[in-house]
Amino acid sequence: MLTTSDTTSSRSRSLTSKQLPKATPWVIAVASIVVAAGISFLGLGRFSIAVTAVLAGAINAIAVFAISAAYEGRRKAVDRVATTVVSSAFVLACVPLISLLWLTVSKGGAALDLNLLSRTMLGMKGVLDQQYVAGEAGLAGGFYHAIVGTVLITVAACVISIPIGVLAAIYLVEYAGKNKLGKAITFLVDVMTGIPSIVAGLFAFALFSTIANVLMPEAAGIAKTGFTAAVALSVLMIPIVVRNTEEILRLVPMDLREASYALGVPKWKTIVKIVLPTSVSGILSGVTIAIARVIGETAPIMVTAGFAKNLNWNLFSGWMSTLPTYIYDSQLRPVSPGDAAIASSERAWAAALVLVALVMILNLLARVIAKVLAPKAGR
Amino acid sequence: MKKGIFVKLKHLAPSAALLAVGALTLSACGGASATGEDTSGGDSGLQGTITGIGASSQKAAMDAWTADFATANSGVTVNYSPDGSGAGREQFLGGNAQFAGSDAHLDDDEAESAKEVCGPEGAYEFPVYVSPIAVAFNLKGVDSLNLSPETIAKIFKGEITNWNDKAIKADNPDAQLPDLPITAVHRADDSGTTENFAEYLKEAAGDAWDAEVDGNFPKEYGGEAAQGTDGVVQTVSDTEGAIGYADASAVGSLGQAKVKVGDQFVELTPDAASKVVDASTKVEGRGKGDLAFDLARDTTESGAYPIVLVSYHVVCSTYKDQETVDLIKAWEKFVISEEGQQSAAKSAGSAPLSADLRSQIETVIDSITVAG
Repeated sequence: MLTTSDTTSSRSRSLTSKQLPKATPWVIAVASIVVAAGISFLGLGRFSIAVTAVLAGAINAIAVFAISAAYEGRRKAVDRVATTVVSSAFVLACVPLISLLWLTVSKGGAALDLNLLSRTMLGMKGVLDQQYVAGEAGLAGGFYHAIVGTVLITVAACVISIPIGVLAAIYLVEYAGKNKLGKAITFLVDVMTGIPSIVAGLFAFALFSTIANVLMPEAAGIAKTGFTAAVALSVLMIPIVVRNTEEILRLVPMDLREASYALGVPKWKTIVKIVLPTSVSGILSGVTIAIARVIGETAPIMVTAGFAKNLNWNLFSGWMSTLPTYIYDSQLRPVSPGDAAIASSERAWAAALVLVALVMILNLLARVIAKVLAPKAGR
Repeated sequence: MKKGIFVKLKHLAPSAALLAVGALTLSACGGASATGEDTSGGDSGLQGTITGIGASSQKAAMDAWTADFATANSGVTVNYSPDGSGAGREQFLGGNAQFAGSDAHLDDDEAESAKEVCGPEGAYEFPVYVSPIAVAFNLKGVDSLNLSPETIAKIFKGEITNWNDKAIKADNPDAQLPDLPITAVHRADDSGTTENFAEYLKEAAGDAWDAEVDGNFPKEYGGEAAQGTDGVVQTVSDTEGAIGYADASAVGSLGQAKVKVGDQFVELTPDAASKVVDASTKVEGRGKGDLAFDLARDTTESGAYPIVLVSYHVVCSTYKDQETVDLIKAWEKFVISEEGQQSAAKSAGSAPLSADLRSQIETVIDSITVAG
């Protein structure tokens, strides 16, 4: 390793008859942004981020090629343009992400306070929002109930889908081999990955309506509960858990299993003691990805859990709100239409910030757990 | 190996415990209401949950009603899912909700199938929410504008294109109308506001409006399109010489046209808006508890403002147990009460129902009974 890189670098050093200073691409990039901003200002009469960005990208690529071609020769110039294009694509991919985060943090952060986190929408009416907009009172209402709903429904969905998903993956990898059942399951999992989330919601709602109609025909509308929503989310979660776990389990070296068998350990014990511990960090990351995927679901929750305004800790009775449905409802159908709708919008942004933070915390937690549980390498 | 995992889990335990404690503290404080105050003041002895599904137009009013109702009856939870009028009627007829909110009354087929869920008397329906639609304009120096339905139709059709048009002048002899092109702003999205506005023009403007009545504004009529109520109001506010239609609660400080009814020009007021319901006739061939109205858009009743959206509640004539009957009665009576209507007017900008209509509705609500 060391020797190769040494020779490459020494050879390249010997070839650097003419090379631009290291800082050149950065200088060119900054210069093209300034020029683009100037053109946008002169051409449009105002500063436009979009126009500047597009122009800067184009000017940068042309300038890099021209300067490099003149000084270093064509081969180097093409290489530099390729580098520039790839980096520009990377920056471009970051733009929506950063802009979204910035918007959420700036708009949500401005509105977010402890009151919003600890209050619900019980007793919320338009007059309170009108007072807030007129400056007579603080922002009323909150989404404590939605945070509780999000956490409960997601945890319930995990409790249902993680065992099913992980066990299905174990079957596929350890037992199925190439038999027909295994192929059928793989095919079905692939199909399930693609079903739209609203279909999952309708499925769960239809299922529980039918059950409710059979068991308690008198009671109207008891099928909409947090648990129904959890089942809908499980339908979305299971295929992701199966897929991710399957990939991770296939990465466990066959040698480990064979070593275990050679010592006379039965198959189930090999799976529990050797295969799962080896892959536990990967499985957990897979589960986290699945959670992050379903925690932001809106459509299936609306169909299955309704829009609750009050705090509800019971998954099996009564409506529940989650953060996504809360955001959707606040933004689309404000408590007070007209001028005071801005208050609903502020609550929605704050809820969006909390949702993003929740997903981020989950991801970090999974990273930490994965790191702690990962088997030490080179043992 | 296994022991190793458990040891590692032990390291995680304190932080997990901290998280749990944090969550519990958060749950312990906070009144879990919108204002942080304890709202469970009035306990009427009623217990239970009422579920309604239906029109999103009622959502703001429904928020006000449920808030006030919950304050007086702390044991009752009222859920309302604003899935749309059609969804509301369907779910109600399917037995998935105790009441429905709907911008249109049940049609004959639906009224018939309601008998399956609600017993031989079928469903009771009554207006609960009247929301006036304003024709808002932005003209410097013109505060008051009179418009006849024909003129409104021609403006939105693109046939009258300038504010100094003869037809407008004829209705506004005193106004200083500028030589300015008219920008007619309409909703770009499918909306109940557009449907009611078009229905009014279809009935009141005669041949001038020849498009089908629909939630979508007829594309062939041209004009400026804006997204949502806020979009229309924003566009009209930003454009000198613009005119648009929007929910009266949303137009703010824009000028609102007076509309010709009979031979008068009627200003938009809550009273004028609820008057049109009083001037309308009930749909024929329905049960005694059915207060569905054919809105008299072309009414000549003096002082009635005919561009309104009327939204109904649909309930069953009979429910299967006394508990539900008591709940529904208390709830619907609150909705149509003076207090409930005023609360909705303040929060949602609706027009309170007239005392006469309210007493009619109360009789209907009183006749809800247990199936038997």
